[in-house]
Amino acid sequence: MTAIPRPWGDGRELSVPLRLPSPGPALYLLPVVAFLLVWIYLPLLFTGVLSFLHWNLVSGSRPYAGPQNYTQLFRQGEFARAAGNTAAYIIGLLPFATVFPMAMAITLWKHPGRASLVYRSLLFLPVVLAPVAVAISWQFILAPLQGVLDTALTWAHLPAPDWLGSGATALWTVAVITGTKIFALNVLVYLAALAAVDRGCLDAARIDGASEWAVTRHILVPLLSRTTALTSFLCLVLGGQWTFVNIAVLTQGGPLGRTDNVYYFLYQYGFSFFNTGVASASAVVITVVLAITVAAHQFAARRLVASDQ
Amino acid sequence: MLRAIARHTAVIAVIAFIAFPVAWAILTSFKPPPEIYDLSPLAKHPTLANYDAAVTQFPLGRLLLNTTIMAAGVTAGQVVVCVLAGYGFVAFRFRAKRLLYAATIGSILVPQTCLIIPDYLIAARLGWVDNYLGLIVPQIAACAFGVMLLRQHMEAIPASLVESAKIDGATHRQILTRLVIPLLRPAISALAVLVFLSSWNEYLWPLLIASGSGNSTIQVGLALFQTQEGSEYGPMMAAATITTLPVLIVYLLNQRRVTDAFLHAGLR
Repeated sequence: MTAIPRPWGDGRELSVPLRLPSPGPALYLLPVVAFLLVWIYLPLLFTGVLSFLHWNLVSGSRPYAGPQNYTQLFRQGEFARAAGNTAAYIIGLLPFATVFPMAMAITLWKHPGRASLVYRSLLFLPVVLAPVAVAISWQFILAPLQGVLDTALTWAHLPAPDWLGSGATALWTVAVITGTKIFALNVLVYLAALAAVDRGCLDAARIDGASEWAVTRHILVPLLSRTTALTSFLCLVLGGQWTFVNIAVLTQGGPLGRTDNVYYFLYQYGFSFFNTGVASASAVVITVVLAITVAAHQFAARRLVASDQ
Repeated sequence: MLRAIARHTAVIAVIAFIAFPVAWAILTSFKPPPEIYDLSPLAKHPTLANYDAAVTQFPLGRLLLNTTIMAAGVTAGQVVVCVLAGYGFVAFRFRAKRLLYAATIGSILVPQTCLIIPDYLIAARLGWVDNYLGLIVPQIAACAFGVMLLRQHMEAIPASLVESAKIDGATHRQILTRLVIPLLRPAISALAVLVFLSSWNEYLWPLLIASGSGNSTIQVGLALFQTQEGSEYGPMMAAATITTLPVLIVYLLNQRRVTDAFLHAGLR
């Protein structure tokens, strides 16, 4: 048996130090630093500045606005509604990010074979398909009166709602459409986590008389808890962004703002209403909220690790 | 036995739900106008008229070319930036390395939408509206995932290999091009597949920076087609099929590589 070679990046110096006559790390890191500065970090700063100005994206004058853009943002109620919708999207997407893909992955993993491989590759389809094309296809299926879904429902004497046009259903319809893609990606993520699980451990439990459900519930689900923590955290942070394309193509935030979310709000204020100030103010608020969420998550995760030890 | 049937039925039902919109779009694209809303999946009088209409109303060849150039440019740019940065983070020790790495990874958390206004203004100032530079360069900045991925893979290279290359008198450039890149070929190609796909499917940035219909990408063109042609579903489904088909074929031919790419990169 050969010893596992020591990895290069384990933090220790090489026995032959890599000090060579060369421009050093600067040359290698310059491109990434330049790209991040020019297109991400300076723009972020720039957004902060714009949020204190009145501007319409084209005019030469940009009068100082003080906190007015922020007060407008919070007084109007439109942003609060968009924030509420964003929360609703995240809640609606959560099962598509966690429980559903976990159940599917466990089912496929418990019964490996040719069929499972075929299912696995078909289930992944929504991740690679063009989101605009998928959204347009859904729009055709869900079209009121003549769309195939409502035609089928009417034929079966069931209620046929206007899925994307009515305030009661539109948000959840967008959430489910977005959910299929998240589901597809996370089935793969859970399958990868399951690949590391020792099947023999389950057989031992089965021999001891544990039912299939008990094996799943008391062995597999706890083993997957780290993956679930990750998938739910990503859903929390990214859920709002995932819905953007579907909102833009299917509802444009309507009916009456029922499917608007904070990202679409920002886009509309920036590029439809040309109100750079309010759009930038909302960008600042979104970034701060996300930063707090991530920091809180990091803090909680550290505490959890610390209490484990 | 009964349980197995129930299991397969359930899985197939989920797949049917997931694949239904695209399958229905493809089937509809062959239906003549009177049959468009029929419940029957197959056209009674199949026709290619929808494709004719889509191609004449939609600068398809141009959009496909634009999208291919954009996705290839973003992929090449990100791969170069990520390989260099990954090497820089693994091969050197310097002050502020941790901070710099944290700043790189932290950029993942900044939502793309929050940057569209300043990024647009910068690109406009550079005169990059409606051209390839504007489409490609800002998308290269979304490279943090790639840096993370390649750094992890480079760190796993056995130290002895790097040491012996050093003893043989190799420079950093030689270590990178003759040792690291060949060893990392699977990870690099995984990254390339991922970046290409996500850039091909990108909607928001091309919509802003290249909204002129001939200069844009296939995703933007398709969305534009939808707002302009409203309820002309036949040609629209044909256009949607043409948009999806290249990716679908690439995926079905390289399933393993594509899914592995997504797994390699963790999550995207």
